Amino acid sequence: MNRMNKAVLVINALVVFAAALSLFSATASRGSADAPELQNRAIFGPGDVKHGYESADYTTSTLDLLNRIGKEAELIKFAEQPPLGLPPVPVPADNPLTAKKILLGRKLFFDRRLSINNTFSCAMCHIPEQGFTNNELETAVGVEGRSGKRNTPTIYNVAYFGKIFHDGRESTLEQQVWAPFLARNEMANPSIGYVINKINAIDEYDGLFEEVFHGRGPTMETIGMALASYQRTLNAADSPFDRWYYGKEKNAVSDQVKRGFRLFTGKGACSSCHLVQKEHALFTDDRLHNTGLGYEVSMGRDSGTTRVQLAPGIFTELENSVINSVSRFEKNDLGLYEVTEDPNDRWKFRTPSLRNVALTAPYMHNGSFHTLREVLDFYNRGGIPNELLSPLIRPLNLTDSEIEDLLAFLRSLTGGNVPILVTDAFAAPIGDVSKDDPDWTHKNKLKY
Amino acid sequence: MKKMSKLHARWIQGSLASLCVLLASVVGFQSAAIADETCMSPYMAKIVGQEDYVYIWTLGKEGVGDGQDKLVTVSVNPESPHYGKVVNVLSVGGRNEAHHSGLTDDRRYLFAGGLDTNKIFIFDVHSNPSKPSLHKVITDFVEKTGGMVGPHTMYALPGRIMVSALSNNKDHGGRTGLAEFTNEGEFVAAHWMPTDEDMRGAVKVGNIADGYGYDVRVLPRRNVMVTSSFTGWSNYMMDFGKMLGDAEAMKRFGNTVVVWDLHTRKPKKVFEVPGSPLEIRCAWGSQNNYCFTTTALTSQIWLIHEDDAGEWHAQSVGAIGDPSQVPLPVDISITADDKGLWVQTFMDGKTRHFDISDPFNPKQTYEHVIGSQVNMTSQSWDGKRMYFTSSLLGNWDKTGDQDEQFFKLFEWNGKELVQKFAIDFYAENLGRPHQMRFGAYSLYGQKPNSKGTMLSQRVE
Repeated sequence: MNRMNKAVLVINALVVFAAALSLFSATASRGSADAPELQNRAIFGPGDVKHGYESADYTTSTLDLLNRIGKEAELIKFAEQPPLGLPPVPVPADNPLTAKKILLGRKLFFDRRLSINNTFSCAMCHIPEQGFTNNELETAVGVEGRSGKRNTPTIYNVAYFGKIFHDGRESTLEQQVWAPFLARNEMANPSIGYVINKINAIDEYDGLFEEVFHGRGPTMETIGMALASYQRTLNAADSPFDRWYYGKEKNAVSDQVKRGFRLFTGKGACSSCHLVQKEHALFTDDRLHNTGLGYEVSMGRDSGTTRVQLAPGIFTELENSVINSVSRFEKNDLGLYEVTEDPNDRWKFRTPSLRNVALTAPYMHNGSFHTLREVLDFYNRGGIPNELLSPLIRPLNLTDSEIEDLLAFLRSLTGGNVPILVTDAFAAPIGDVSKDDPDWTHKNKLKY
Repeated sequence: MKKMSKLHARWIQGSLASLCVLLASVVGFQSAAIADETCMSPYMAKIVGQEDYVYIWTLGKEGVGDGQDKLVTVSVNPESPHYGKVVNVLSVGGRNEAHHSGLTDDRRYLFAGGLDTNKIFIFDVHSNPSKPSLHKVITDFVEKTGGMVGPHTMYALPGRIMVSALSNNKDHGGRTGLAEFTNEGEFVAAHWMPTDEDMRGAVKVGNIADGYGYDVRVLPRRNVMVTSSFTGWSNYMMDFGKMLGDAEAMKRFGNTVVVWDLHTRKPKKVFEVPGSPLEIRCAWGSQNNYCFTTTALTSQIWLIHEDDAGEWHAQSVGAIGDPSQVPLPVDISITADDKGLWVQTFMDGKTRHFDISDPFNPKQTYEHVIGSQVNMTSQSWDGKRMYFTSSLLGNWDKTGDQDEQFFKLFEWNGKELVQKFAIDFYAENLGRPHQMRFGAYSLYGQKPNSKGTMLSQRVE
C-alpha cells in the first residue's frame, strides 16, 4: 500500500467519522452530557485511534476504556419492526423472538468463558464499536493466537442471510454458532458437551435457560437459539440513503450520493451482485463469486519483499524469507471449493452486504484492502483475471470523480440505529472468570 | 500484627543483604562474595554468594512432552552433583503463554504470568529451593482489574507485586494498565495507563499517549516508576509473520514511556518513544538517575533520565545493529556497576555488549551469537555468569531448524563469553524456555543435603 492510499484512508476515515457524528446526534440519546463527542467517537471505530499513523506527525486521540457508556436498548423492536430499508426479518417458527431470549443470547455473545481457556467470546472478534467486526486485523486470530485466514465478517443484518460465512457453508444462525464454538482456531471448545457442561457450572446461568425455554436447560439447540436471537436483532439501516430512497426525504443525502447511486445501479453495475429492491435493499445477492482476489493469493508469485511499518512515519522493506522464518501462516484460501470440492468453485466467496460498509474495514474475504477506495479501484480494474473469474466482473472505466461519487454513496449506508446497537452492547456484561467459575484450580471443577 | 512483624523481619533481612553488597563493593571483593541477578527490584533480598538454581518459566508446545507450561528448575551451582541438569519440572496445566515472572521482595514466592489465559501462578520457592511447589493460582485477574488482559512484568515492591498488563478484554488491543497485588496474591488496586481522553494528571510530552503497557521498574530514591509499551493480545498472540504482513496490525504497537510518581501511583509524564519500548533497566549507582530501554521495532537504545532541575526526559542515544533489518532487540541487562548493557536481538540470535559509562553515548564493544534465536538473559551480580534462553512468544519463535530452544550458561571474562553448559529444551521434552529467576538456599538459612539437593523429582 502506498502513501497516497494511506492518505485516502485517513480522509475516508475522517469523512466517515463526521458522517457518523451527524447520524448519532440525530438518532440517539447522548451517552455523556459533558463529553458527547467522545462518546460518539467510541461508537464508530476503535478507541485506539490510529488515523494518520503512517505519518511521523501522528498524534494520538486515544479514548479511555473506563469511560465507555452503555445503555440497554429494546432490541426486539429492531427485529419486529426493522429499520427503514430492510425487509421483514425471517424468524424460524420454532425459535420465536422474546426479549428474555435475546438478553440471554447477548450474555452468551459476550462471555469469554465459553472457550477452552476462558479467553474468547464471540465479541472478541465481532467488536461492537468496530462494526461488529475487527477493524484492527486483516484476518482473525483465535484461541492461543491460532491463525484465521479470513477477515471477520460483520454480523449487522445477518438475520437475512441464507448463506453464512465467507464460503457460504452454513444456512441458519442457530446452526452457525457452533462452528466458532468448536473451531480449533476460534474458540476451540473440545466438544458440544463441554460448552454445555461449562454453562451448567457457571452460577450466573442458573435458571436462565429454563426460564426462556420453558424448562429446557442449555443444550446444543437452546444455546444456538439464544445466540441466533440476539444476532437477529442486530439490524442496522435507516441510513441517509434509506431516508432518501425509501423514505423520500429529498435532502437526506447530497447530490454526490445521488450520483453515486446512479453509478452503482448503472455504469458501475455494482447492483448486479449487491442487490437493491424496490421496497428494501440488502445489498447482496446471497451468492458466491470469483473476483480473482482469492486466486491471486493462492497462485500469485512471491513479490520478494514486504513493506512493514515499524512506527509512525517509519517503514522498512523486509525480505519475505525473513518473514517466513517466523511464520506458520497459510494464506491460501479456495473459498466455496473447500465446501463442495468442485474445482469450478475455487476462489468463490460470498457477496457481502454493503450496509454499514464504512464501519467494517478492512475489506474483502482476507481483509487485504484497507479502504473503500482500494476496493473500488480493484473492481474498476476488472478484478484479477483467472479461468474462473465471474463474468460479472469486468473493467468499469470509472473516472476518478465517478469513484468519488460511489464512495460518497457507500458512506451513506451507515445505519441510523448503529449507536443504539453499540451502546446496548456496551451495557452487556463481559463474562470473565471469577473464583466461583469452573477451573481445575478452583473448588468448582468441570465434571468429567 | 504478626504479619507486620514478619514483613519487618524480611525487610531487615533484605536490607542487610543489600548492605553486604555495598560493603563488598567498597572493599573490592565483590566478584568473590556477591552473586544474584542484576535487573531485579531494589526492594528484594539479594543472594549472597553463588546462586543454586535457576527457575525457568517455560512455554508448553503441542507435541513436545506434556505440551503444557511448566516451571523448570536447573541446578547451576558448580559444587552440586547435578550442575547443569534439570532437577525439577512442575507442570501447571494449559498453554497460558508463559512469559515473565518475578519474586516477592522476601523472595519466598515466585509470581509467573500467562499472557494468554491471564492466570498468575504463585510458586513457593523457599520451602525447598530445589523443588518449587504451586502455592496459589490467581485466575480472576481480568475480573478483579476491571478488564486488564495479559499479566506481564511481576515486580517486587514492599509487600506488593506490581503487575504490568498488556491488553484488555474489550478489543484485545493495547490499552491497558498496572495491577497491584499483595505478596499473598490478593488484589489491591488497578492503575490504568494515561490516554488522551483521560491523562490521569499526566502531561503528554510528545504527540502520543496510547495507553499501552509492557514493563515496569522503579527508582525509589527519586520516587519514580517507569513503564514502557508493547502491543495488545491480538498481536502478541498472533503468528509473527502474519502480523508483519498485516498493515493494520502493525499500527498497534506502543510508542510511549510513562514516568510515574512511585508513591502515589500517578502518571506524571508520557514520553514519545517510537517503535515499542520493551524492557526497562534502571541504574544502580546512587547518583545515576536514569533508566534504559530499547525499542523492539526501531532498534534504538533510549535513555530515560532526570536533569539537575529534577525534570525527566527521554532521548534516543544509539542504534542496535542495522535497524532497517529489524534485528528485534528483546531482553536487556544492565551490569551492577552501571557500565555495561547487554542487549539480545532475537532475529540474529546475538547478544551485544554496550559500554554505557557515558549513558548518553553507548558504544558497542562486543557481540556473540548465542543461537539461531535468543531472547532472555539473566546476569549474575558480579557480571561473570550470563544465562540465556531462546523463546520469545509462542507464535513468534522461529520455525523449522531455526527453532532452537535452549537454556545456556556462559561465563564472561571481560573479553568474551565462554559457554559452560547448554540444555536442549526440546530434547528434554520441556518446551520453550522463557524468563529465568535465581534461587539459593542461603536466602532461607538452608543448605543442600549430601546429595546436593533437598528434594528432587529428577535426580540424574
